[in-house]
Amino acid sequence: MAGEQQGELQLVVFHLKEQTYGVDIGHVLEIIRASDITAIPGAPDFVEGVINLRGRVIPVIDLARRLGLAPINVTGNTRIVIVEVGGTTAGMMVDGVSEVLRLPRESIQPPPAMVAGVSAAYLQGIALVDDRLIILLDTTRIFRREEKEALQELAEQAEERAAS
Amino acid sequence: MFTEEEVAVFLEELEEKLQVINDNVLILEREGGSPEVIQEIFRAAHTIKGSSAVMGYEKMSTLTHEIENLFDRLRQGEMEVSGTLVDVLFEALDTLKLLKDEITGSAGDVDVSAVIEKLRACQPACGAGGPGGAPAGGVTVPAPEGMSDSREPVDLPTPARDTGSGRLLPAGQAAGLSTTGTSNGYQTYRLTLELEDAEEEVVREAEVRGFQAYQVDIGIDRGCQMKGVRAFLIFETLQQIGEIIKSVPPAEDLQEGNYEHGFTVVLLTKEDAGQVHDLVFSIAEVSSVEVRPVKLRSGEKTPAPDAARQADKKEPAPPGKGNVKTVRVDVQKLDTLMNLVGELVIDRTRLDRFVEVFESRYGSDDLVENIVEISNHLGQVTSDLQEEIMKARMLPVAHVFNRLPRMVRDLAHKMGKEIDFIIEGRETELDRNVIEVIGDPLIHLLRNAVDHGIEPPEERVRLGKPRTGRLLLKAAYVESHIVITLSDDGRGMDPDKMRQKAIEKGLMTPEQAARASEREILDLIFTPGFSTAGTVSDVSGRGVGMDIVRNQIEQINGSVEFTTVPGRGTTFTIKLPLTLAIIRALMVTLGDHVYAFPLTNVLETLTLKPGEIRRVRHAEVIVVRGQVLPLVRLAHLFREKSKEEGKLSVVILGSGDKKVGVVVDRLIGEQEIVIKSLGGYLGQVPGLSGATILGDGKVALIVDARGIVKDAGVEEIIYEVNRAG
Repeated sequence: MAGEQQGELQLVVFHLKEQTYGVDIGHVLEIIRASDITAIPGAPDFVEGVINLRGRVIPVIDLARRLGLAPINVTGNTRIVIVEVGGTTAGMMVDGVSEVLRLPRESIQPPPAMVAGVSAAYLQGIALVDDRLIILLDTTRIFRREEKEALQELAEQAEERAAS
Repeated sequence: MFTEEEVAVFLEELEEKLQVINDNVLILEREGGSPEVIQEIFRAAHTIKGSSAVMGYEKMSTLTHEIENLFDRLRQGEMEVSGTLVDVLFEALDTLKLLKDEITGSAGDVDVSAVIEKLRACQPACGAGGPGGAPAGGVTVPAPEGMSDSREPVDLPTPARDTGSGRLLPAGQAAGLSTTGTSNGYQTYRLTLELEDAEEEVVREAEVRGFQAYQVDIGIDRGCQMKGVRAFLIFETLQQIGEIIKSVPPAEDLQEGNYEHGFTVVLLTKEDAGQVHDLVFSIAEVSSVEVRPVKLRSGEKTPAPDAARQADKKEPAPPGKGNVKTVRVDVQKLDTLMNLVGELVIDRTRLDRFVEVFESRYGSDDLVENIVEISNHLGQVTSDLQEEIMKARMLPVAHVFNRLPRMVRDLAHKMGKEIDFIIEGRETELDRNVIEVIGDPLIHLLRNAVDHGIEPPEERVRLGKPRTGRLLLKAAYVESHIVITLSDDGRGMDPDKMRQKAIEKGLMTPEQAARASEREILDLIFTPGFSTAGTVSDVSGRGVGMDIVRNQIEQINGSVEFTTVPGRGTTFTIKLPLTLAIIRALMVTLGDHVYAFPLTNVLETLTLKPGEIRRVRHAEVIVVRGQVLPLVRLAHLFREKSKEEGKLSVVILGSGDKKVGVVVDRLIGEQEIVIKSLGGYLGQVPGLSGATILGDGKVALIVDARGIVKDAGVEEIIYEVNRAG
């Protein structure tokens, strides 16, 4: 990633359940209002449904549910962050998008096992900016179909760290 | 000969199937042979065998036949998977890849006999050559004629022999008109040539397909040192633009350099005479070229010089111009275009809405009228654009049909049968994707027809039928579908024999078999493992095929049905959508949502009073014209809050021979919809087959009608009811 070399990271910052989260802007295609979501019967419960994004049918997940939190209450501020991960385009519903932030890479610390009820399996790290705690999400892991896989990978990483 | 495109399609399929074999052999090695894995490899090998035989790649078809044999025995449990076996399989796989390279020209001549020996050695001893016997001389198969012309090494230069065949006439004596004068004063070469009946037949058939047959007389410089190479080059060049069906002297002699001052070929091509002429004349040491359209005997006997001259005058064919009339486009680009048009349609609908608002607010203002006009025009252009893009994706069904006559001929030959194979409606156009899918099923059906359907000549004579069997393949448009029928005048199927067979195979208990209707019995041919053939041949009769045929066709929203009369023959009817991207659908509402049912699966709709629903055990059923159908409530299935009240709207779905009634809230009507996938992230969602975007920009889900019918457990309930009443 280009940002990595410059030692700087650009984040799209959003709110979810009174917490502030960030995702790498490189993964974000656009941010749209949450409207006209068609529910998919039989899909996992964190899948909110599908939307029409200029002629394409894109799945949208409720990020809060995906992270194991209570479902989002849709309000006027609710937004869908459209991201592209591993070749597929998908949307994640959040409580509201606030800003784009540049962060020096050093300010990011590895995540503890659990932050605000969210498993570290989904996190890239945490950053402290002006007394605000920003939780960095790993979009690739969020949109991985097998949660089990992600957990397993984390366990492997822990092993590696222990070995070195 | 096959066109570049056909070869490309074949190679693409081959690549895919090789991958399937590769992946599954790996699993085989890792986890041992589960029936699924063995079946996967068996099917992939079976497909390669079939299509490579059609294309005339006999080494490949022989090798895959051996692999198929091996897996058939694994499948029957006659042998076990072992380490050596896996090694040999990988070797066979590598050989297949080499054979593929041989086709693309990136590898030399590949020998398959060694690996075939090893494959045979792996099998426990049993009758020679495995079940049914391999094709005669299965180990080393000479490349078929036609294919070999361009690939065989050319021996150079051998002393010229007298050609003997053909009558050489000096230019002055010939009645025709030379299209070229050469500056170096060499005599032009020309020959009077007569086609044999079989060749005339080929020409006639080609003309139907839009080819023109030309007689090309080519004179070669007297001083030419390597005449074999020259002839080889000319053949190569001509084969790039068409097919050479005859040459005087014969091709083998030409490539040996055994000809005097020139030779004559008959070329089938879509290029015009001028282009053929220029192309050949651009080759070094060619001293004269004359291109004349071939006239068939039924017309004028000798080629009319006027026609030849006209052909040349009319189209001077400046090189580089005129021949760029088509452009190859990636299908994906067309898909993208289609999507963009879809967006246009949606925006236009929105614009319409604004127009209405303006009209009600400002009345018939000049500006408003302008907007109305623009909006209407935009709508017209959009739908024209949509239609044109649809058409751009269409190909004539000839793309598939053209590879079939050769196959039928070879099969008939092999089986000792006499068959008159007739094709109608080659020009019928279909979506490219549909064309790709129907090749396989058609090959299976044809093989079955030749192998089991049509009787040997002697038997036919004994039965009082004409000696030559008749096989008719026909494509035609019927409403918004294309219907392909394949009928033979052979044995037909005997339900009583099949009933017996079903019991023998353990597919039915004698009781079930006795109870089953004739249709149910006949439809057993679509059951995996059911084969009506008494013996297994390398053509068909392994019980692979009909279940795959039905699967493949249903996957593209098509259907396959057949009628049969014992002793009179069988007719298969395949109904296909014109395109995969757009289908007609029945739109319904359920709760707050709109759902689409593909119309191919909708048999009828009706309204019911709640009292008309009956219960069998815990299942709801309805009776439609005496037939008991299971009833599914879509609201239950999709956990939607139903808004049904009073009368129930029921959609009767059918797939194969099963039928199910589905309760929805309200029927909206029929509509053309553009199918979109739900995407890789959601993958396969039970009960749904995709999504579509409605005129108002909302997404509606497409119901997987086949899945619902399949899951509804029909037989049990029906038997239950039948027994009760």
